[in-house]
Amino acid sequence: MSARLVNRGLDALTWLVLALMLSPILWLVLSSLQTDGQLSRGAYDLLSPTFDAFTRMWQSVDFERYLLNSLIICTAAALCATAFAACAGYALARFQFRGGKALSLGVVGTQLIPGSLFLLPVFMGFVWLKQNTPIALFDTHLGMVLVYTAFFTPVAIYFMRYFFIAIPRDLEEAAMVDGCNRFGAFVKIVLPAAAPGLVATFVYAFLFAWDELLFVAALTQENAETIPIGIRNFIGNYQERTAQLMAAGVVSTLPVLIAFFATQRWLVKGITAGAVKG
Amino acid sequence: MVLVHLIPTTGGILLSFKRLNTFTFSRLFDAPWSGLENYRGILFDTANPLHDGFFGAVQNTFVYTFWTVGGTIVGGLAIALLLNRPMRGQRLVRTLMLTPWIVPSFVVAVLWGFMWQSDVGIVNKILVDYTGLLGERPIWLLGENSMWAIVIPSIWRGLPFAMIFFLAGLQAMPQELHEAAAIDGAGPLRRFRYITLPLLRPLIAVQLLFCVIYAAYQFAIPYIMLGSNPGPDADLMMTLIVRQSFSNNLFGFGAAASVLLTLAMCVWVAVWYRAFKRDLEAT
Repeated sequence: MSARLVNRGLDALTWLVLALMLSPILWLVLSSLQTDGQLSRGAYDLLSPTFDAFTRMWQSVDFERYLLNSLIICTAAALCATAFAACAGYALARFQFRGGKALSLGVVGTQLIPGSLFLLPVFMGFVWLKQNTPIALFDTHLGMVLVYTAFFTPVAIYFMRYFFIAIPRDLEEAAMVDGCNRFGAFVKIVLPAAAPGLVATFVYAFLFAWDELLFVAALTQENAETIPIGIRNFIGNYQERTAQLMAAGVVSTLPVLIAFFATQRWLVKGITAGAVKG
Repeated sequence: MVLVHLIPTTGGILLSFKRLNTFTFSRLFDAPWSGLENYRGILFDTANPLHDGFFGAVQNTFVYTFWTVGGTIVGGLAIALLLNRPMRGQRLVRTLMLTPWIVPSFVVAVLWGFMWQSDVGIVNKILVDYTGLLGERPIWLLGENSMWAIVIPSIWRGLPFAMIFFLAGLQAMPQELHEAAAIDGAGPLRRFRYITLPLLRPLIAVQLLFCVIYAAYQFAIPYIMLGSNPGPDADLMMTLIVRQSFSNNLFGFGAAASVLLTLAMCVWVAVWYRAFKRDLEAT
């Protein structure tokens, strides 16, 4: 009897914790449905929501441009990182070669370098290229894609390696017996089998690129600015328009939230891969 | 891939030995060498205003990292234990619990910045107006409290990730041990202390390693919530470096401070490795 009571209590506690964790998100959505005036006076009227803040926000800042930039840059960078990682991860998972261990260590090592150390030379290099050559990297989509690809490939390799290890070798060997070469087997057999892994890696890289502020703040000026910069500029110009700010927050969370819920089963598998294997 | 990381890093280290500021920036790679001047100014020159700023930021980063990592790991473990029990709607709860991690950190900063507001923020409304727990309205975004204003959202956002990580470990754990211990009369607390914790040690080690690095390099949350200068109570290493480099054009200082930060992290990894060497070999 008492064990059942304890169980009930723990169930309730779980739901309570969940509610606490979700409440800030709920608050974000609720306040985006109010007007700026209501929020600045603290007089909420939760019963009469309005999408006013969304339309106003859309007009007052060029949010569409930031959103588009973010989508283009993050998608391209995540695609490149996943493609590189698929090749490197496959090599690490299947072949023993000299320096393989050093490469794995290097993958972890790259996470150790603070962005700021990395950022200054990249910034100077981009500016130098802009001044002295026709190669346009500073404040362009291409430049940001390059930086992000370099940034997220190491983690992506770690992800992909795990997914490839989970695919039995016999599959490729059978394909090779049937007349495929190594590359053919990789493209036709291994990649489709690793599709969930590819999706997970892509979404993971996308999430991180979406979140990145430091590099995009330094390396862009106007053309390639992404959502975080849009938000920062918005705060600078219209600090008191809280409802619009919250609306911008909702809009910039939605794409990643959708991407996450669509792929969460594989994504969670990828994240926890390290945990189960140790 | 290694090359892509190696070249800028080397460049950054070289940069830290140069005198690079507004006046020499146009010369970019040909800026004059200054030897150890940047480092001396930061570490030993007490008359240099950057010296105080640097040590303030070091202290703040330390405090921030300590609380954020501690909160994330303890909280993540607690929630993982809670979710490890069979219950109705288990999968739904586990998925929903992850959502704070999906919210981009700049949105986290904007949202909490609004929640912390002294007059109309929901935190003070709950603490003061609705429940009356506090007599007067605390100011969260200025002064001493501003550290908590960035620590708590950071925990909130980082916790789900630690939770899902520990949960996977808990589920991979053999049940027989727990059952055997229960038959021998060990209560839940002792089973946690002598079975769960030791088995989770490698996972805790991994989380600890990456959480500390991630927290020490935190930038977006203080920068968006408190602005490019979060004030002496919440100025972290990264906000300091970025502000001095890009607002004040003290690139040499920024590079030198970054190198010192990297060294600190190397020391941390070495300490970590010594402490958890045993666990890494076991797996």
